[in-house]
Amino acid sequence: MTPGWIIALIAAAGAGFGLALIAAPRSAWPLLGVFGALFACLSVRGWKPARFAIALALLLVVIPAAGVQNNFLFELVTQMGIFAAMALGLNIVVGMAGLLDLGYAAFFAVGAYTWAIFGSAQAAQFMSGDFPLAGWPYFYIFSALAVIAAALLGTLIGLPALRLRGDYLAIVTLGLGQVVRVLANNLDQPVNITNGPQGITPIERPPIGWLESLMGALGIDGGPALGYALFFYLLVLAVIGVVVLVNVRLDRSRFGRAWVAIREDEIAARAMGISPTRTKLQAFATGAAFSGVMGAIFSAKQLFVSPESFTLLQSITILAMVILGGMGSIRGAIIGAMAVTLLNIEVLKSFSDFLARLRQTGFVLDLGVVSFNFANLSDQVEPAKYERMIFGIILILMMIFRPSGLIPEARHRLEEGEQTEQMKATPAGKRRAP
Amino acid sequence: MSNALITLLPSVVLEGLLLGCVYAMIALGYTMVYGVLGLINFAHAEVFMVGAVAGVEVYRYLGPLVDNPYVLALAAVIIAAGVSGALAMAIERLAYRPIRRHGSSNRLVPLITAIGVSFFLQDLVRLIEGLWHGEFYMNYPASDPMEYLHELPFGMTIQNKSILVMVVAVSMMVGLDRLVRRTRLGRAIRAVAQDLPTASLMGIDPDRVISRTFLIGGALGGVAGVLFGLLYSQINPFVGFVPGVKAFTAAVLGGIGNIHGAMLGGLVLGTLETLGGTYLFFLTDGAIGNEYKDVFAFVILVLLLLFRPQGLLGRAQGEKV
Amino acid sequence: MMLEVQHLTKRFGGLVAVNDVSFGVEPGAIFSLIGPNGAGKTTLFNVLTGLYRPDAGEVLFKGRRLSHRLPEHIAARGVARTFQNIRLFGAMTVYENVLVGQHAHVRYNYLDAIFRTFRYYRAEKRARVRAHELLDYMELNDRAFELARNLPYGAQRRLEIARALALRPALLLLDEPAAGMNPKETDEIKRLIRRLRDDLQLTILLIEHHMKVVMEISDRVVVLDYGKKIAEGTPGDVRKAPAVIEAYLGKGALEGAA
Repeated sequence: MTPGWIIALIAAAGAGFGLALIAAPRSAWPLLGVFGALFACLSVRGWKPARFAIALALLLVVIPAAGVQNNFLFELVTQMGIFAAMALGLNIVVGMAGLLDLGYAAFFAVGAYTWAIFGSAQAAQFMSGDFPLAGWPYFYIFSALAVIAAALLGTLIGLPALRLRGDYLAIVTLGLGQVVRVLANNLDQPVNITNGPQGITPIERPPIGWLESLMGALGIDGGPALGYALFFYLLVLAVIGVVVLVNVRLDRSRFGRAWVAIREDEIAARAMGISPTRTKLQAFATGAAFSGVMGAIFSAKQLFVSPESFTLLQSITILAMVILGGMGSIRGAIIGAMAVTLLNIEVLKSFSDFLARLRQTGFVLDLGVVSFNFANLSDQVEPAKYERMIFGIILILMMIFRPSGLIPEARHRLEEGEQTEQMKATPAGKRRAP
Repeated sequence: MSNALITLLPSVVLEGLLLGCVYAMIALGYTMVYGVLGLINFAHAEVFMVGAVAGVEVYRYLGPLVDNPYVLALAAVIIAAGVSGALAMAIERLAYRPIRRHGSSNRLVPLITAIGVSFFLQDLVRLIEGLWHGEFYMNYPASDPMEYLHELPFGMTIQNKSILVMVVAVSMMVGLDRLVRRTRLGRAIRAVAQDLPTASLMGIDPDRVISRTFLIGGALGGVAGVLFGLLYSQINPFVGFVPGVKAFTAAVLGGIGNIHGAMLGGLVLGTLETLGGTYLFFLTDGAIGNEYKDVFAFVILVLLLLFRPQGLLGRAQGEKV
Repeated sequence: MMLEVQHLTKRFGGLVAVNDVSFGVEPGAIFSLIGPNGAGKTTLFNVLTGLYRPDAGEVLFKGRRLSHRLPEHIAARGVARTFQNIRLFGAMTVYENVLVGQHAHVRYNYLDAIFRTFRYYRAEKRARVRAHELLDYMELNDRAFELARNLPYGAQRRLEIARALALRPALLLLDEPAAGMNPKETDEIKRLIRRLRDDLQLTILLIEHHMKVVMEISDRVVVLDYGKKIAEGTPGDVRKAPAVIEAYLGKGALEGAA
């Protein structure tokens, strides 16, 4: 099948599932179909504008049209976006630069607390001023500050850690990630900065009068809850767009090449004039920045932050996304994030609900040899609570059977257009001294 | 005030050494595996946890049958050693060996596998305990003879169970030292740790040696689990993580790959941590106290890796170009 | 002098890998280091390129001190090298390998890359054109978009040289470029080294075991044995030096031949 046909097929599937989803926004199959079409747009090759247009149509028309009927869709895709940004950031560190960072959630935490402290009454605990900062520009200013704070922390942690050998780096980042969490837990005294284990709430959200009037003009009435669901959906979509653009551009610059060179062979890279410390710090800070901005958005969206959102489990979840998608692969990181998030908040929960229903109805599974009455199934069997097991299995199976991930890094296809053009420039056989 | 600190010192050191014994036992598992494979076996923390859980099960099922608490404790130690040793071997056979075989060039692959195994085991134990007993928080039952407190000079006190912990830990470590130094297996382990390809040319089967190394390291970890349970009583499937990281710190502190180093590192770290946890509280008037004791260990680890990565007993190594 | 090595010493524990070695390399020369296995040739390369710190002695490059500087600084100053056991960036394309080689010469900052400023386009364009020129020169252009790890052995050796040339070096260090090659390929390497010197006005420091290559193209040869310099001179001088014959053939070889 030629790429043209494949893309036409994706477009048709996207349109079909899209219409089905708008018609029945609460049913699972059209939703999975729409995500399938999105995955396909990211994973097939060729005819970029068309794939881009299909993805955009799905994200900007289909999902909002279905989402205003079912808020949960916005929630799901927003979560996917937040995780995708983090997976992209971690992918720079782990995938491209080859540095195993197990404390990545710390940067998300720093971003989240940056807005949480000043976007709530918390800041009044340790400084004078009128808190929370509630006007419209503050949230955006602090989101930018969150990027800077996370990048600074990345540099600060990186400076000592990045001088270490690869495996030591893993355990040191794991330790430092825990240190950040312990600090968040305990910096409620002597000066109350983080409010300790209780966390901070409520956190301000930026005003969205413009969006509500726009929705009003379109005849959609869902109140502020729907308005904010749509707002965060659009915001995350915009930020993810920027993150992907920055990531792709860095990847195809001297910085991206230096990251991969350091991963492939540090000694050869140094012999090419690349400073390992500087290169690793850049990777660390960039990865941290991606996570920091989503932290700020997360805190506003949830209205609440506490140290428990930034555990090792969180770091490993993001690692699992990167591994599943393919280390070093930008599209892989996005697909990995979407798949794991879908698994986490949709598939496992549905499966748990399904088991619960079987248990209630006392369904009997009869296989001839053995039969099992689901009424006897222990209530400990609840797939949604076994994320660690799921992520553990993902990590182990991927490493044994497909260490390069679902969509492996494909550097040999980076320069699709350039190949022919440059080849023509110098006719073969006429070699001159460069 | 300073007087109180000095009178407290012997007891604090004693407590630290006790904790250090547990760290040392776990650290041995990290250091032996690192020695032969160059891998930080993240899953070792869970091997330790499984040992602690196996000990609880022994108490649960043999407790009503056996009166003597020491016999019971020893039974727990032996069974936990077997369960954890077998588990460690199984991990190596099922997860690490396949990736060693396909030999990916990416050096993160084994590390990530180890993390995966670690997470998988936490929830697996949680599921099994949940199905078995309906909950996954467990306790080592207290018994009066074990809690009996001896008075020692300098205001120190020690419980019977603490004496038991020290006796078991020290004898296991002496036994390991003998094993590594005197036996054929010990020689083979040292040979593989030094140079795997050459060792295999000399007729040593590296897979067999690696497997035995996991068995021994795992068994020590399992015993440490029971000792930990005896000392601190409360156990759950996530209890391995913090002692695991600290024991790894201890292994690095002593010089990773070095068996005596792991023992020394464990004792030093346990003592430093207990001292830090106690005295920081006094010195800062309660602003910084025991809640920072985990941070304390991590900070030691970072400083150590930066300034003396070869550890107390290790020798500096350059990379071959 | 392009390169001056003065009383250089490097020890590993009790082993003296390079022992008080001195020599000077004239600009435009093809200068060879030979000696039996373990004589300290590669160690000397590693000291010159900053991977090892010397225990004593100095290295001067164009009259400036090079010893005790970081490898990346030495590279950026114009000392490029290849490795005995080829060290390419395997997961990158042939073309990207050469682009990485130009790292120090592609000048733009982080924001230039993110916003794709004029500076980014100008520098990248220049680097890309030059990458193709270099690949063309090394006859690798038809494989430009393959992964480096998929190249055949001979092509990998050539790519390593292309990558080193991308650094625009004044001094090129080649560590056994003809190792593992058949006579025809060895002949090609020999011609290539000469061509590099003549076309690009390079100074070349060469470690090589193929005596035919060394003797035919070197202007000057230094012989190392157990870390010590035992002879220096033109290929003709060195071939006749008794110490060299003894090092290669063992004691008594001279008497037997006479």
